[in-house]
Amino acid sequence: MTAVKALNPKAEVARAQAALAVNISAARGLQDVLRSNLGPKGTMKMLVSGAGDIKLTKDGNVLLHEMQIQHPTASLIAKVATAQDDITGDGTTSNVLIIGELLKQADLYVSEGLHPRIIAEGFEAAKEKALAVLEEVKVTREMDRETLINVARTSLRTKVHTELADLLTEAVVDAVLAISKPNEPIDLYMVEIMEMKHKTDSDTQLIRGLVLDHGARHPDMKKRVEDAYILTCNVSLEYEKTEVNSGFFYKSADEREKLVAAERKFIEDRVQKIIALKKKVCPGDEKGFVVINQKGIDPFSLDALAKEGIVALRRAKRRNMERLTLACGGIAMNSVDDLTPDCLGHAGLVYEHTLGEEKYTFIEKCGNPRSVTLLVKGPNKHTLTQIKDAVRDGLRAVKNAIEDGSVVPGAGAFEVAVADGLVKHKPNVKGRAQLGVQAFADALLVIPKVLAQNSGYDPQETLLKLQMEYKESGQLVGVDLSTGEPMVAGEAGVWDNYSVKKQLLHSCTVIASNILLVDEIMRAGMSSLKDTLKHPGRWTALEQTLQHPSQHQSEVIVLLVMFCFQEFVNASLKTDWFIYEILLKALTFVTLLFLPIKGFIGFQRIWLFYF
Amino acid sequence: MSSVCREVITLQLGHYSNFVGTHWWNLQDAALSYELESPPGEIQSDVVFREGQTLGGHVTYTPRLIAMDLKGSLRTLRQEGRLYDGEDTSAVTWEGGFMMHKESPPKKNSFLEDLDRLDEEILAEVDFSSNSQLQHSGKKTPSAPLPEASHQPASGAVSVETVNSRLTRVQKSYRLEGSVKVWSDFLRIHLHPRTISVIQQYNHDGEAHRLEAFGQGESLLKGALLEELEDKLHFFVEECDYLQGFQLLCDMADGFAGLGSKVTELLQDSYGGRGVLTWGVCPVSRPDSSPLKNLYHLLNCTLGVVHMAAHSSLLCPLTLRGGLGRQPRPPPEFPHLSYDPSLWYHSSAVLALALDALTVPYRLRNNSVPLWQMADSLASGGRTVAAAYGAVPFPMMHGSGLPDALSACAEALPWKPLSACPEAGGGRRYGQWVTLRGLESQGLGSSCLPAGIEPPTPLHRLCCGEDVLTAYMSSFYPSSPLALQLVATPSKVTPPFPQIFSSSLSSQGFLQSEAPPPGVPTVSVPVMASLQSGPALEPWLAELHRAASAIDVRRLAPSFLSQGPEMIDYQEALEQLHLLARRYRDDSSGVMRSSSDEEEDD
Repeated sequence: MTAVKALNPKAEVARAQAALAVNISAARGLQDVLRSNLGPKGTMKMLVSGAGDIKLTKDGNVLLHEMQIQHPTASLIAKVATAQDDITGDGTTSNVLIIGELLKQADLYVSEGLHPRIIAEGFEAAKEKALAVLEEVKVTREMDRETLINVARTSLRTKVHTELADLLTEAVVDAVLAISKPNEPIDLYMVEIMEMKHKTDSDTQLIRGLVLDHGARHPDMKKRVEDAYILTCNVSLEYEKTEVNSGFFYKSADEREKLVAAERKFIEDRVQKIIALKKKVCPGDEKGFVVINQKGIDPFSLDALAKEGIVALRRAKRRNMERLTLACGGIAMNSVDDLTPDCLGHAGLVYEHTLGEEKYTFIEKCGNPRSVTLLVKGPNKHTLTQIKDAVRDGLRAVKNAIEDGSVVPGAGAFEVAVADGLVKHKPNVKGRAQLGVQAFADALLVIPKVLAQNSGYDPQETLLKLQMEYKESGQLVGVDLSTGEPMVAGEAGVWDNYSVKKQLLHSCTVIASNILLVDEIMRAGMSSLKDTLKHPGRWTALEQTLQHPSQHQSEVIVLLVMFCFQEFVNASLKTDWFIYEILLKALTFVTLLFLPIKGFIGFQRIWLFYF
Repeated sequence: MSSVCREVITLQLGHYSNFVGTHWWNLQDAALSYELESPPGEIQSDVVFREGQTLGGHVTYTPRLIAMDLKGSLRTLRQEGRLYDGEDTSAVTWEGGFMMHKESPPKKNSFLEDLDRLDEEILAEVDFSSNSQLQHSGKKTPSAPLPEASHQPASGAVSVETVNSRLTRVQKSYRLEGSVKVWSDFLRIHLHPRTISVIQQYNHDGEAHRLEAFGQGESLLKGALLEELEDKLHFFVEECDYLQGFQLLCDMADGFAGLGSKVTELLQDSYGGRGVLTWGVCPVSRPDSSPLKNLYHLLNCTLGVVHMAAHSSLLCPLTLRGGLGRQPRPPPEFPHLSYDPSLWYHSSAVLALALDALTVPYRLRNNSVPLWQMADSLASGGRTVAAAYGAVPFPMMHGSGLPDALSACAEALPWKPLSACPEAGGGRRYGQWVTLRGLESQGLGSSCLPAGIEPPTPLHRLCCGEDVLTAYMSSFYPSSPLALQLVATPSKVTPPFPQIFSSSLSSQGFLQSEAPPPGVPTVSVPVMASLQSGPALEPWLAELHRAASAIDVRRLAPSFLSQGPEMIDYQEALEQLHLLARRYRDDSSGVMRSSSDEEEDD
């Protein structure tokens, strides 16, 4: 009986083997949930909440976010896996699968008496070797459009159905290529993802320009302008509260009117300056003029602008301001005082599209857009969300590939190669840590096995074929999911991200080792601790223990100290200094008295719990 | 400028905020009139509601509202709402395996079941009648019919029954006390699909992943959630012609205080010049209290007050707790209410009634005062915290006039503190707004006095309601600035508002000399509420400061600071609170504080 138990009979404690069993079962539970997701032939999952909210996904990351994971270990693994997604944008499912498999393999050896510490050492050695293999097998080449398309397709086909994946692939790659500049990091922020509840998912497209989800708010403004100047600005064109404090309550009505009129004049002057610029740059009214303002434009100003044939959009999003100048050129203006024709951008076509109460403004045919928009379409919210998630991952995959400058063969080819390399490397590792290396090699093979299984092939048979083929040809072979036969992954155009694989090896090893090394799980809540102390029944238990001090000495001390401490905290919070001091003394006394007794260790543990 | 509609956007952050908010929207919905002939009411509902259109072309009328809550807090409510549902043509285009995980739907309570039934009945009726001329509006939603009536004046005014009128007639007392678990359990209106935002990182209940600390909330507003909020704000803001500002209901006791501080900061940055009026709400008790949690709540409140006061035009705490400290006084007792303070469903209803009166100045159709002006008038000199008081309901005898009612409480003001800030008797106020709702049928009572008869009190001599109330108020606070709003319509408390009124109230909410027959529910009540900035807030803020400084955070709640704010920021916040409290010190009265007080403060 541990100290925690004495204090809190509700506390749950699991040690050594039992603790490991709890953790492993959690990891495997999570693995079972995500297992069927892996690969282009995995199952789609539809989550329907009690109220009827639908979530359609195949992405491990989304699933882990949606699941209400109660088990602490499972939640830990889920956190690591989703962190993988945050860093690299992919590999969540593989992460969970490999962690589960590592623990399963380790369990075999632990049950035969091997200490988890030794396995962890083996894992560490194996990881080093695996990273070396990764460096060997990675293919460094120039990232041309074709390679990028292969990478994007490999990622997207695991998220959405084939036709859509192929459609998105091109869009995603072209989007990244449009915004990337040589020798500069890629800012995916410059690809706007706009959703539109309209038509079907296969109408999703890349717009070389911007799509804003609002329109002009004046009935007389044109719905379609060709060959237009674009003025991007952040200037208030509406009556605002004056900065002067409005004094107390009501001033006289006259004074107020005057104030309003003065403010009005101020705004009108600004509008006139914009109109003057418009007259200057388009004298014959052949060209259009569009104002996109981050601040508001009130109906009076809109009216004045509309009369001059200017299309004006108000309250553009802050994040779109930068994109606008990148897409159309020009400079975002913060004041109308120094307007020149050089500040203006240009777009070949600006038009408005209305869907119910939502308006969209398309700014297209820009000269050399450095910011583009992926317009995601779909019949309903959950389809839109699903495509958006997929597009984000696709963009990340392309970005990773460009930044890594290298790719790794997919379809399980990499894992087979690493497993083979590890087995060969095993004799170089000293002692029983070899078993850890073996476990690591076996665990990685879960990826090709599950890929084959999800496509309806026998996992063992497929794996053996792969390994044979790899040994014979020396080429990196993966599973061909349409035949179940080995194929050369590179030739088939199945490429994974180098950074995803690297991150995967790192995080799986760390988390699996950590979980292996846990040898005690305790669970006790603050509130239940308090109940124990307050509950009268517990006091009889305490008295009984007091009568047999020899047996339960440590627990009793802890209990006493705890009690004093609790009162001490309560008292100090009431700022009742008198009691505070008395209790402080009592606490010191009790602590000093029993310090030499072994129970003090228990005390420390409880101390931690208390917070 | 009184003819234009000055829009206000409402944000509700946190579960208790949503409780209060839901009651408030219900009250407003009950007061909406969908009749074509009826004259426009005093309150302009367009200020807080918006007219929209679904993809199918149906007109809708929904609040301009952004509500945030945690995962698992919606129960029967769908995040997207049901209003904008198109026909679902979702054939799943996935040739691989397919798996469906379906949660069993939670059981709806009797009120929601009735609401669903009414919805369906009305839909059926409208479909029948729409064949003639209302082709474009086959589907009528319960909160939607107003625009239709106003846009088609020539169509012969097809008087269609609304959920509203039926609910008034149902008069059924639902007794939802036992079945209300979350706010959607008594929500009677439909919300716009962009309204609800669910924070996925934290759970509404359960043990793990709770939003407990200020720092957690503060760090929430980034990445996807920030983008989502910006998009939602943009949607509601962009369509406003004359946006006057934002009103924010925010939970003070949990991590939402941190989120609220960040949100007010965002609003201040992005929409400078607009008013941001923050109502910091706090329930009387929480289901899971423990000494450590109470400590957290105090710290959250303290930091929340400091930050939100700094970033809002005005912050007004709104709570029925006796105090924000850890050992609060008992909640205030209202003489004509019998409510259970520990029940969120009840306490939020009382606060919503007060809110319905407090927000009147900027919701009026004529002579409205912009939100920023109201806030500025109270927040002069950096005093950005105000306290609310309310007489819920305002005690008035049936058939008597305002002067009678006021002279009945000539000794003491009829209201109770709604911000845990007891009134310091009499004296100066830096600013005060008083709103009285529900004089409809009563009138003033003084005009009918025959000439020559000496009126019983000076109040009876005055001939308009504003003057009477001004005279009454100035008898308590001579020479304090004061703004008044009198509105004839009372607050309509039709179901699902809880029946918390004492039996001495008539169905119109007036006091009666003899008890009415049992079983007659109260359908409307007069309410008087006040927003004040005065020296009473100094001890209140100072007490908060003292309570928070007495805690050694690093020792007692080390995990509180683990997610930010840094210790130095925390101390800085306490210092700011101290300065804020000092601004309320009344120097004009010449009362010197004893030196011991000073020392204790510093």
